[in-house]
Amino acid sequence: MAAIEVRDLVKTYVLSETHRVEALRGLTLSVNKGEFLSVLGPSGSGKSTLMHILGCLDQPTSGEYRLMGRDVARLGNDERARIRNEEIGFVFQSFHLLARASALENVELPMLYGATRPGREERRQKAAEALEAVRLSDRATHAPSQLSGGQQQRVAIARALANRPGLLLADEPTGNLDTRTGREILDTFARLNSERGLTVIMITHDRQVAQYASRSVELRDGRILTDEAISGNGATPSA
Amino acid sequence: MLKRLPLNRAQIQSLVREMPAERRTALETASQSLRRYPLRTALTLLGLAFGVAALMATIALGRGAQGAIRDQVRAAGLNVIEITAGNYRTRGERPIGGVEAPARHGAALPPGALERLLRKIEPVALAHPENDPMEKHDHPTAAERLGDSAAGLGAAATLTSDDAEAISSVPGVAHVASGIHESVRVFAGDRRWFTRLHGTDVDLVEIRRSFAMQHGRFFSSGELRRSSQVVVLGSVARDQLFGQDEDPVGREVTIWNQTFEVVGVVVSTNWMNPGAPGDDEFDAVYTPFTTVHQLLNVTNLNSITVTAASSGRVTEVSRAITDLLRERHGIGETQADDFTVTTQASEVLGKGLHPKVAETLAGNIPNLERTTLAQLASTLERSSRTMSALLLAIALVSLIVGAIGISNVMLLSVRERIREIGLRMAVGAQTGDVGSQFLTESVLLGAAGGVLGVVIGAVAAVVVESSFGLAVEVSVVAGLISFVVALLTGVIAGVSPARRAARLDPIVALGSE
Repeated sequence: MAAIEVRDLVKTYVLSETHRVEALRGLTLSVNKGEFLSVLGPSGSGKSTLMHILGCLDQPTSGEYRLMGRDVARLGNDERARIRNEEIGFVFQSFHLLARASALENVELPMLYGATRPGREERRQKAAEALEAVRLSDRATHAPSQLSGGQQQRVAIARALANRPGLLLADEPTGNLDTRTGREILDTFARLNSERGLTVIMITHDRQVAQYASRSVELRDGRILTDEAISGNGATPSA
Repeated sequence: MLKRLPLNRAQIQSLVREMPAERRTALETASQSLRRYPLRTALTLLGLAFGVAALMATIALGRGAQGAIRDQVRAAGLNVIEITAGNYRTRGERPIGGVEAPARHGAALPPGALERLLRKIEPVALAHPENDPMEKHDHPTAAERLGDSAAGLGAAATLTSDDAEAISSVPGVAHVASGIHESVRVFAGDRRWFTRLHGTDVDLVEIRRSFAMQHGRFFSSGELRRSSQVVVLGSVARDQLFGQDEDPVGREVTIWNQTFEVVGVVVSTNWMNPGAPGDDEFDAVYTPFTTVHQLLNVTNLNSITVTAASSGRVTEVSRAITDLLRERHGIGETQADDFTVTTQASEVLGKGLHPKVAETLAGNIPNLERTTLAQLASTLERSSRTMSALLLAIALVSLIVGAIGISNVMLLSVRERIREIGLRMAVGAQTGDVGSQFLTESVLLGAAGGVLGVVIGAVAAVVVESSFGLAVEVSVVAGLISFVVALLTGVIAGVSPARRAARLDPIVALGSE
């Protein structure tokens, strides 16, 4: 079953009356549940725009978008916030951790919002479980400044997992890390993908990083240039 | 609600648990954020707290001053009965069925002059030295302050010292002081001061409770009998004639080209009424009334001041005095009095009411004698009102500064935390969540600043009371008012930053540096 179905996606930014930028020009893409997809492309290819729309941070100008079978292309701000909260976990290039909160508190953050909003004890317990999943239980009380870059990114991954979403969206997750630490992060993605069947979409401009996925899509000028499976990597997509 | 104020941690937590989830989130995220920036929180809080403290202290001082006035008026005046010669309406009263004063044109006449003319005061009053246009005054004349009748300018020669003698045997009368009042120039060496002269009785010291002898003594009954040329100076008159805090006892002054020996100086013990130029009590000189009679070759009195043995008997005593004087003056059943008896009762009764209402009220209570003796009360009230207004202005300014402080810090904190806001939105915070987080932060600052301010204000008020001797009344109401003002300040200051935060676009916010 498809986790993501996108058809004829167009996103046009109107900068002024005479100047408009077509970031996406009719993009069609389908991602199955449990797939580990990398989106590759140089800057300006529209991959960030695609990430924003897939992550329900932005609305497409036109086209269809179904997430977990639900049409989300035309939802309003607060409904998209709810979808983000329940269905999507974000991992950013610059981690985006709250500097003055502990690792555990950072992981708790998504549980403060949305429909369920568990109480303090439940939140703490779930956050601890998420930290366990990224093997950082021993750093729960540390502030981000006391953690290495790789550890910070793993806290961010734990935060993305906190509400048990079906989709993990990673935007250049290794961009701020050295190669070895980057590999650790990528391994973590691969493990979560294979162990939990988590759908992972990773955006990158680095061809080598893209090879960690089970499938790679390359964007150019707002359209898909190539779309190929990568053999011998990750889990087999469940059809 | 008040009964169930959360007192311990467990109770607070259970209260928080019972809240709707959205409000709980706002409260949790807001208090977390405040705790994560302790210095910023503390400074903002302190800014507001001082504003609230100033407000709190102002209310406490204002109420204290009011209470002090109430007590002082009660102590000083309630058992005092003032009998003045003549029967005039006091200023501001409308003649019954008479003419209304027309609207004033320009500033051709000094204030009140037209009304006085319209009220047909005898020419004697206008020719009085105080109203001499060639005389320069640096303070209001007694007539302007007190009204003509109370200032003794009615000058109807209807009271005598025999009347005073007769009144002293009325049951319930404690002290009687004859009074004859003149405005005089007093000379001491090359200094000269234009002031009030009160020809009076030895009993006056007993009647005026705020009198204290700073130097020397009051004149004696022997000097009264002998019509001695002795004088007691009010503190203000002394300051003008001999210099600040000089002891002039034994020295001489000249009044009406006659030499008087200074035997004492009176000062006020009443901190609300410390004596000021033109106040009629301490900007004044006192001589035996017999001396005035002898020198001016008159026998009349302008006033007789009486105290009742207890304030409960004032009405009864004043009625007895009225009857006695009517009889002594041979006034028929249908004739009007040729004197005026005033007590404080009507004044106190009408306090704080609209003048019309007070008038009606007083008019509807039989035998409640007509108005005034307002000097003390109005002086006290005026000074305390000035003080309160000043303090209130200070409090408001500091509150505004506090509010601007909160607003500023909140706006800054929104700007500083744009990425955090973006992240919160990315993980599912709705616009309402973000908005109420920042609003709640501001309200929490307001509430905490309020509590702190109320405590500081109460402590400050008590310190002021003990170190400056000012009357202070710290009340629950004052605390509540101050707290609510602080809370409102928090709400108002938080609205704009909260809106700004809630309206952020998550993509822009996440990408900002």
